[in-house]
Amino acid sequence: MIVPRRYWRNLDWPLILAVLALIAIGMVVIYSASYSQLTSAGLSPFYYVTRQAMGLALGLAANIVIISIDYRAWERWTRLIYFGAIGMLVGILALGTTVFGSQRWFRIGPLSIQPSELAKLALVITLAKHLENKANVSGWNIWRTFAIAAIPAGLIMLQPDLGTSAIFVGLSFVMLYFAGADIKKLALCGGALAAAAGGAIFVSLKGWVSIIKPYQISRLLVFLDPYADRNGAGWNIIQSIIAIGSGGFSGKGILSGTQSQLHFLPANHTDFVFSVIAEEFGFIGTLVVLLLYSIMIWRGLRIAMLAKDTYGMLLASGAVSIFFFHLIINVGMTIGMMPITGLPLPFITAGGSTMLTSLMAIGIILNVGLRRQKIMF
Amino acid sequence: MRIGRISKVLVQQRIMLLLLFVTTAAVLLVGRLVYLQIARNQFFQAKAIEQRIQRIPVEGRRGTIYDRNGIPLAVSVSATSVYAVPAQVENKEHTARVLSEILDLDYETVLARLNRRSASEWIKKKVSLEETQAVVQANLPGIGVVDSSERVYPYGSVAPQVLGFVGIDNQGLEGLELYYDDVLRGKPGQTVFERDAVGRRIEDGVEGYLPGAPGSDLVLTIDYYIQQVAQREVERATRETGSRLGLIVIADPKTGEILANAIYPTFDIETFADYPVQNRRNVAVTDTYEPGSTFKAVTAAIALEEGVATVNTGFFDPGYIRVSGWTIRCWNRGGHGPQSFFETLQNSCNPFYAKLGMELGSEKFYPNLIKWNFGSKMGVDFPGEVPGTVRSPDTGVPLVTWANIGFGQGLTMTPLQLLAAFGAIANNGIYSVPHYVKEIVSEDGSRGPEIPPPRRVVSEETTDILREALRSVITRGSAKRAEAPGYFVAGKTGTAQVVENGRYSHSKTVTSFAGFAPVHDPQMVALIVLWEPQGAFYGGIIAAPVFSRLTQQVMPFLGVDRKAMAEGGPWIRVPDVVGMTVEEGIRSLEEGNFEVEQIGDGTRIIGQAPEANARSERGAQVFIFTDTDYLPASTELPEPFGV
Repeated sequence: MIVPRRYWRNLDWPLILAVLALIAIGMVVIYSASYSQLTSAGLSPFYYVTRQAMGLALGLAANIVIISIDYRAWERWTRLIYFGAIGMLVGILALGTTVFGSQRWFRIGPLSIQPSELAKLALVITLAKHLENKANVSGWNIWRTFAIAAIPAGLIMLQPDLGTSAIFVGLSFVMLYFAGADIKKLALCGGALAAAAGGAIFVSLKGWVSIIKPYQISRLLVFLDPYADRNGAGWNIIQSIIAIGSGGFSGKGILSGTQSQLHFLPANHTDFVFSVIAEEFGFIGTLVVLLLYSIMIWRGLRIAMLAKDTYGMLLASGAVSIFFFHLIINVGMTIGMMPITGLPLPFITAGGSTMLTSLMAIGIILNVGLRRQKIMF
Repeated sequence: MRIGRISKVLVQQRIMLLLLFVTTAAVLLVGRLVYLQIARNQFFQAKAIEQRIQRIPVEGRRGTIYDRNGIPLAVSVSATSVYAVPAQVENKEHTARVLSEILDLDYETVLARLNRRSASEWIKKKVSLEETQAVVQANLPGIGVVDSSERVYPYGSVAPQVLGFVGIDNQGLEGLELYYDDVLRGKPGQTVFERDAVGRRIEDGVEGYLPGAPGSDLVLTIDYYIQQVAQREVERATRETGSRLGLIVIADPKTGEILANAIYPTFDIETFADYPVQNRRNVAVTDTYEPGSTFKAVTAAIALEEGVATVNTGFFDPGYIRVSGWTIRCWNRGGHGPQSFFETLQNSCNPFYAKLGMELGSEKFYPNLIKWNFGSKMGVDFPGEVPGTVRSPDTGVPLVTWANIGFGQGLTMTPLQLLAAFGAIANNGIYSVPHYVKEIVSEDGSRGPEIPPPRRVVSEETTDILREALRSVITRGSAKRAEAPGYFVAGKTGTAQVVENGRYSHSKTVTSFAGFAPVHDPQMVALIVLWEPQGAFYGGIIAAPVFSRLTQQVMPFLGVDRKAMAEGGPWIRVPDVVGMTVEEGIRSLEEGNFEVEQIGDGTRIIGQAPEANARSERGAQVFIFTDTDYLPASTELPEPFGV
C-alpha cells in the first residue's frame, strides 16, 4: 500500500469511533422514524436503512481510497476537481431531478448523487490550495477567495438551495480565517455580505425585485414566529418543537414517538431526524449525539492544528467546518433557533449522497492526521 | 509551490478561538434543549396529546316541558345520528353508496361530505332504529353512530307560540325553548379518541366518553286543559268575526301565572317550518297595540288614587269635549248626558276619560303609567318582549295626548301589559308580572323563574271601588254579553282604531275585552283581543261573549284542578321501564299509581314519556312506546329508543 506502516499509529481512533457511533445511532433512528410511514405504504421498514447501508459501504470505500493517497498528491488535480464540480452543478441545472421545487439530484442507477454535496469538498480542496499561497491571504487579495466560492455558490442558489450556498460562503470565511487573513477585513466583508442579504430580503419583501422567492422568505422568517402560519410554513417547526419538548429527559422509546410515528412530524428521517432522536431518546439521546459531534469536531480541529503544512491544516479545518455548519444549522432549525433549510445532519440523516460525502470529508481529515509532523502536543 | 508556512502560533490561536466559538454554540444548543426537554417537558407533552385527541360532542338529554299539572308537552326521546370521520373512511365511493342506500340520502351529497377536509361530519341526524342497525352492521371504517335526542310532543301542538321549538341540533329557536335554552339544554357529553396527523383513528389509542349532564325540566304555568279551551275559543272567535288575528290570555291574578295563551291563526309545532312566520309569534309579548276603552279602567284607578276623581264624581256628556282646539267625540254622537262615576265606565264615555287624562296630565298620569309598567319591559320570561311606548313629558307632550291616553289611545302596550294591569285591579292593587314558567326542575332540586317580585301599584280602597265599577259594566253597561251565570264576571270592553300610516284608520279596529271572575275573589283574569274584525267591531258585541264562554268552561277546571292538586300530594318520580316487557312495565308503573298509555302493540318497551326519574304527579299518565308501531297515528316522529 501507499500508506507506510508507521503512519497507522497516527490514525485518530476517537474520531473514527465517534463517527461510527453516530452512523449506528443514525441507522436505528432512521429505522424508527420511517417505520410507520413505510409500513403503512406497504414497504419494508428497512427500506431507508438498506439504502443508508449502501451509502455507508460506498462511503467507506471512498474513505479508504482517500486515506491511501497522500493529500499532497491531490494538489495537482485541484483545477480538475474545481471545474469538474462546476460542470456537475451546471449539469444538474440542465437535467437534474426536481425534488420539492428544487433541482438537486443526479440519478445514476439506484444512486442519487447530489452535486452540491460533492462541490463542498471540491471547494475545501480548491481553497486549501489557493490559500496556501500567502499572497492570496494578504490584504484585500482575499476577494479572490470569495470569487472562487461565488461561482459554485451562485449555481447552487439557482437550484435553489440557499442553505448549501450559505455554507460555501461560511467555508470561505473560515478558511480565510485559518489561513491568517486580517480579521478586521474579514469582519468588514461579513458585514457587507449581511447587509447585502438583508437588502435582498427587503426588496423582495417589498415586491420590488424578486431576488429571493416568497417561500424562501417565509421559511426564513417563520422560525421567528411559527404560530403566524401554524398550518403552513410554521407547521414543521411547531411539530418539531413539540416532538423535542415532549420527549423529556429519557424519551418515549424507539418506535414510540407519537409525533414521529403518527405523521405529525414531516421529513422525520431526513431534515427533522434530530427531532426524532429528541422525542424517542430524550435529552439523554440529544446530549449523546451532540457529545459525539463535539468529539468529532474537537479531534478534527486537533488534526488541523497538528498538520505538517498549511495545505493540510486548511484541508482538515475546512472539512471540519462543513460538519460544524451542518450541525448548527440543522439542529438549530429543529429547535427553532435557525431558519428552515434542507441541510442534512451528517451521518444520521437518511441519504446515500450525504453519507458518501461525509465519509469522504472524514477521509480527508484522517489523511491529514496520518501524515502529520511528529511533534508532541 | 511552497511559498511559506504561516506561523504555528497563529494557527493554534485561531483554532483555539474557533473551538471556543464551537463550544459557545454547543452550550446554546444544549441550553435550548434543556429548556424544551426538561423545563417545558410537561407543556409539550400536553401539546402533543392535545393535537392527537379528537372530540365529538354528544348532546345531553334536553329537559322535558310539563304543563302545570305535570302533563308532558315537549319531551326528548333518544334517537341516533350517523357521523363520519372523513380521514378514516377508506373507500369513499363505496361508503357513500352504502350510506346513501341505507339512509335514503343522495349519493353525491354523502360523497361530498366524506370528501370534506374536516375532523368530523354529520351524515344524518335522527335516524331510525332499523337504519342505525343497518349502518352498524355495514361496519364501514370511519363511520359511527352516536345517541342524540329528538323532541316529541305527546299531546300535540299545545300553546305552540309559547313553547316554541328546537332546531335540528336541538337548540331552542323560538319561544320558551329559546328563552330557557341554557336550562333545558344541559351539558353536552363528548366521545374522545386519539388520531394521527392525517385524522386516522389510532387502533389502541385513548378512547373514552365524557358524559354530559341532562337538561333541567320546565314546569309551565300553562294549564293544558285551560289552554285547550282557550285554543278552541280563540279559533272560533277569530273565524266568526273574520278577524285577522285573535289572542286569548288567561292568568292567575294572584300570582301572574299565565294559565293559557292561545293565538289564532296558529301552527303545528312539529312542522313549524311549513307555516308563515307571523303565525309563530307570541303577540301577547312581542307585539303592541293601542288598548282603547279597556284602558279606561286603568285611567279610573289612577284618577281615584290621585284624588282627581272620587266615586261621587259626576259628569255631563254633551257628546264631545274640546281640548286645545281639538274636539274629541264620544262614540255616542248624541252624548250620554248626566252620568255617575260608575255610569261613565258602563257607557265607556270618552269625554269623561279625556277630561281625567288632562287633569292627571304629565304631573300625575305619567309617573303612574311608569309605575304600572307601561312603556317599559315587564321582565316576562319570554324572548323578544317589547316595551310599548308612552311619551315622556320631557318631549313636550301636548294636552290632547293625555286626553287621548285617558281613553286608551295614543299609547301602545303589549297585551300582557294590559292583562297585568287588570290583574292588579283584581288582586287588591298588587301587581304581578305575568310569566310562563312555574318551576325549573333539575337533578339538584327545583327553583322558580326569575321574575320581578309582586308589588303594590294602587291602594285596596281604589281597587275595591274599581272592581264594583267593572262589575257594573257587565250588569248594566256595554258588556252584558260577557256575563257567565254564577261566576260574577267583571270587565271592560274596548275598541281601538288601528294606526295606519300615522293616522287612525276608519275601517280597521282592534276589539278587546279584559276582565276577571269571580269579582270578589278573582281566580282568573283574561284578555281577549281580536285584530281587524269584519263587520260589527264593538268589543261589547264580539269580544264580550267570548269571555262568557271562556269563564263557563275554565272555572270548573280551576276548581277541579285545584282539588286534584290537593289530593295528588307531593311529586313522585317516574320509574324506568325502558327495556322491560310491556307487562313488567305496566306492573311497575301501576305500582306507582301511574296511568299507563301504551303506544303500539309490541312486547318490549323502547321508550317512555315522561322519561325515567322525571318528576310527576301521582296518577299522571305515562306513555310507553313499544317496539312496533309506537307513535300516535297523527304524529310523525323519528323512532325513539332509549337503551
